[in-house]
This record gives sequence, C-alpha cells and structure tokens, in this order.
Amino acid sequence: MAHATRPRTFDPSDSGVLEGWLARQIGANRARITNAELLSGGAIGENWRLDVDVAGGRRSGRQTWVLRTDAATRMAMSHDRADEYACMRAAYEAGVAVPEPIAVSTERELIGAPFMIVGMLQGSAQGRKLVRDPALAAFGEALAGRLGEELAKLHSVQPPRRDLGFLHVPDQSPARAAVRQLRADLDKCSEPRPALEYALAWLDRRSPPAAGLVLVHGDFRTGNYLVEAGMLTGILDWEFAHWGDRHEDLGWLCARCWRFGSDQLEAGGVGTREALYRGYERQSRITVERAAMPYWEVLAAARWAVVALLQGERHLTGGERSLELLLTGMMAPEMEWDALAGIEAIEAIETTGMKGSSR
Amino acid sequence: MTEAVMQPAALLSIAIETLRSEVLAALPPDRRYAGAMIANALEVAQRGLEAPTAERVRQLLDPIYGAGRGSIAWLARDVRSGEVDDASTGELRDLLIADLRRELMIRNPRFLASRSA
Repeated sequence: MAHATRPRTFDPSDSGVLEGWLARQIGANRARITNAELLSGGAIGENWRLDVDVAGGRRSGRQTWVLRTDAATRMAMSHDRADEYACMRAAYEAGVAVPEPIAVSTERELIGAPFMIVGMLQGSAQGRKLVRDPALAAFGEALAGRLGEELAKLHSVQPPRRDLGFLHVPDQSPARAAVRQLRADLDKCSEPRPALEYALAWLDRRSPPAAGLVLVHGDFRTGNYLVEAGMLTGILDWEFAHWGDRHEDLGWLCARCWRFGSDQLEAGGVGTREALYRGYERQSRITVERAAMPYWEVLAAARWAVVALLQGERHLTGGERSLELLLTGMMAPEMEWDALAGIEAIEAIETTGMKGSSR
Repeated sequence: MTEAVMQPAALLSIAIETLRSEVLAALPPDRRYAGAMIANALEVAQRGLEAPTAERVRQLLDPIYGAGRGSIAWLARDVRSGEVDDASTGELRDLLIADLRRELMIRNPRFLASRSA
C-alpha cells in the first residue's frame, strides 16, 4: 500500500458533479455511484473502484469501473491522465489486454485532479506474490508466452498516429534518445551518481542504430499486469508509454530487478525468456534479436535507477513528504550495481566468448 | 545514565530492537507496511552512523583526483563528459563497483548478498 496517510484527492461523499459529468460522457440519462473503494497500489496516483448504476445509453445497468487520478506531484517522464488514456485506447484498439477506456477528464475542478475512468478487470498485480505462487510451475511458461503476444500486439501500433501526436518522435536511435532523456532527468535530481553516469556513457557509446519505432509500454513488468488463476487478464500503468525500440519492453520485463528474487526465471520471474520471445515471434512474425537483449537490460537497470531517484526527489524537493518515496530513491545503487554487472558480463563475453561476471 | 547509552547508535539499536520485537507484530495489517519501512529506515541510519559517507567517498575519489581532492559531483560530471573514463583511469569501473558495494553495505546488505550468491 502506498501513502496510507496522505490526503485523498477524490472525496466519494461529494460525487454529484462527477456523476453528472460521467452520464454526459457515456451518453446516459443518469449515472449514480453506489460505492467507492480506494484500491491498494498507485505510487503515482490514486485508484478507486466505483460501482455505478447507469440508466440509459449503451452502458445501461450496473457497472464496475476504476477511477484513476493524477497524483499531487508527478514525475516529469510520466504522462498526465489524458495522454495515458490515449495510449491505453490505442492499445485497446490494437487488441491488447487492457482495461476498457471509458472516460477521461483533464479538469481539476471535477474531483480535485485530472482523472480517467476505465473498466475493472479481475486478478492480482502483486509481483512478489505471483513469483512465489506454488502453481507457477504449471502456468508460468504459458504466461510468459502470453506476455510476449501482448507486447507484439502493442508494438503493432506505430507512428504516425494523429491520436498519439503528443508523443515525441525520436530523431535518432531510440536507445540514444533514451540516454539523452535519462541524463536530463538525472540532472533534476539532487544527488550526483557517478556509477549511473558510467552506465549511461557506456549505453550511449554502444547504442544500437535506429530501428522501426513502435508504441512501447515503458513499464511492462511483473507487478504491472493482472493475473487471475494463472491467466493474464490485463496490462496496467500506461503513464510511461512512448515511441521506442521493440526490444526495450522485452528488456525491461527481463531485467533482473523485476524478477522479484526469482532470478532463474528471466522473464519477469514467471517464465523463461525463450517462452517470452517465442510468444512475441508467434504473434508478430518478427524475430527477437537475442544478442541485443543484454544491452536493453543494462538500459532497463539504468532507467529504473533514474526513476527511483526521481521518486526520491518527490520527497526531497517536490513537496510530497513520504518515507516510501525516499526509500525508493535510496534503491538506486541496487540498479546501478545490476547495470555495471551487466556491462561487465557483456564485455567479458565479447573478450573471451564466455560468461565471465560473477557479480 | 552513562554517555555510552546516549550515543546515537546505541539509541537507534535499542529503538529498532523494540520496534521489531514489540511493535511491528501488534500493528493492524494496514499499518504493517509503514512499520516495516520505518524499521528499514532506522537500520539504514544505524549502519550509516557506523560508516560515515565522507570516509566512504574518499576511497572512491582519492585514486582518481588525489588525496582530499575532487567531489562526487565532479566525478559525475567528468564521467559524463568523458574526462574520466576507463582509458584515463584504468580501474574506474572497479572503483565504482567497490564504492557501490560500500554504499549497499549500508543501504541494503541483503541485496548485496543476493548478488554475491
């Protein structure tokens, strides 16, 4: 649970304005919120389960949706709710398992912050619990394959897209553009990090050439998808979506920091990377460049280190006092360690043709 | 009360011990995560007292800039610009990894153990 004691943005006891707005958005005569429950998770914003009685229109009847707000402060690299909503809609239309986009508001006046309303999906997103599920041996490989298929569907969304016109189109190699952005984000942080600078300099020197741009989720990892009885039900948290290289999402999921301790299952701690790659190739008919993946996993570690530092910065200078955010910032050396160990392993293989790093 | 008992490290030590043994288990479920975070933060602070940052960073900076010279901000800047790299400082990556090891001994020794396993 995040920020158990912080003030809430949405006040369910004062939802009349929201109900009127919602009815207009979905073409209903009336929408009445019968129950609102704050859900766990959401280090960036708040998530509320809403039970809504809808009268009239194509959504008439009892509905269960999720209201997702902007947080008081936001990381520079994350989208606001309207842009996140547009990315989710593009993914939904491409057939990706994603909560159905229902409505979005950029106005602060309605409930105190911009928000979106999306479909409610069954399942749990608790990564640590998932990788320790005793039944994982039975469903993990299939789940990894399904994750690959979903990524392939997402990556079928490619520029130019008028509905995603707010997304920056990199004018150079996506990896090099990522490094440039990470350096700019790092410059917003109070704490200089030489090890991270070392990793970014290495990534910049070794960046692969520009490949075809695709819509990248940007935070596709265990903990950001829902699983119910061993089956994937939906992919969450689209606030970091951007145009990038298809290997970036694959590398992020396989990065060691997102295996929750189940290091032998390299695809997010749930399955083998081959199962993930095969699922991707089955759906996309595009071959995953296996030799390129260690580079993208170093980039993933460096990126998570920067994200952690930015989270810590929200406490340090962003006016959002939170022990959880501060402790997240203090995790940066862990990802720096993985990044440097990854670099060492890549160079050892290049030098000797052997897996050489013991770190 | 002796001065030894009033040392910050000693105070933190008994505070953590009391928190872990008498408080955490008694917290309601929706406060246990916050309690665990507090215990973690106190333990990091305790380890930090035993290994002052200033001493740690000199072990990184002295081989690169000379005794007592340079700063972490300088090093970050020089690594980005390429002024300091593996060519100019042959052992740069080893120095950075050694520094991370010392930093992680304070911030999260369990992580370090997991990567050494």
